[in-house]
Amino acid sequence: MCEAKEDLDKICETLDKLTLDALFLVQEEIDLKLNVENAMSGGEAHLAKTRYIIGQNNVSALQLPTENSAEFSSVIKVEGSESLLGANTYTLREIKKSEDETVQEPLRWFGFLVPQNLNFAQKMFRQALQWSVQAVNTQNQLQRVLHSISSLKEVKSNLTA
Amino acid sequence: MALHSAMKGKLISVIGDEDTCVGFLLGGVGEINKNRHPNFLVVDKNTAVSEIEETFKKFMKRDDIDIILINQNIAEIIRHVIDSHNTPIPAILEIPSKDHPYDASKDSILRRAKGMFNPDEML
Repeated sequence: MCEAKEDLDKICETLDKLTLDALFLVQEEIDLKLNVENAMSGGEAHLAKTRYIIGQNNVSALQLPTENSAEFSSVIKVEGSESLLGANTYTLREIKKSEDETVQEPLRWFGFLVPQNLNFAQKMFRQALQWSVQAVNTQNQLQRVLHSISSLKEVKSNLTA
Repeated sequence: MALHSAMKGKLISVIGDEDTCVGFLLGGVGEINKNRHPNFLVVDKNTAVSEIEETFKKFMKRDDIDIILINQNIAEIIRHVIDSHNTPIPAILEIPSKDHPYDASKDSILRRAKGMFNPDEML
């Protein structure tokens, strides 16, 4: 009887800690998404300036590769690894032309002499990508914590039943 | 092959409006693979919901994609498909767009977290 009570206390203590962790992770996730938003709106402002310089239709989805374009690889990839808590964590990796010959520089889709603003837009969107990957890592941790909370709640309800 | 792809890393795919796709592809995430399948979808007002759903499901099945970035307003349209996804890979991240600022109350994961902190659930 006494042991069961001790177990219950331990479970409640762990649940408290996990709940606090989850709250911190929720706050972190929201902050990261707001950072993504800021970086994206900065990038979009530079895209708008580029459109003003080289024309409305010269920076649009029409310049993006289609299914009929030649095969090419992405410049940015993610590498995943499992963290100590068991959640997947990702890091961004830039692929160099020397590593993979099929890598294409995206700026070339918009012409050879592109305005400086397009370079700025690229930098801002790379920044947004960095924030996004961090947000994914936090999201994975949060999912892990939520899963632990629900499993512990089940154990707790079995003990109290 | 597996070692080769692990060395090279995995892809980030994008489902979003024109500016989101142009921006992230400019950032370098775009790829057309040897089967001529892109890892992005530009959604405009003429894109059918079924097309968005199909593309999303296709991205979920591809083993070379680890992260799917989707505009929150587009995620709202296919919410039932997103909510039914419960595997860690690929990770789905809802991002804001130019016309729709980020709203935490609509986010799938955060709504799940909020449900956990329901006073009735805490007992």
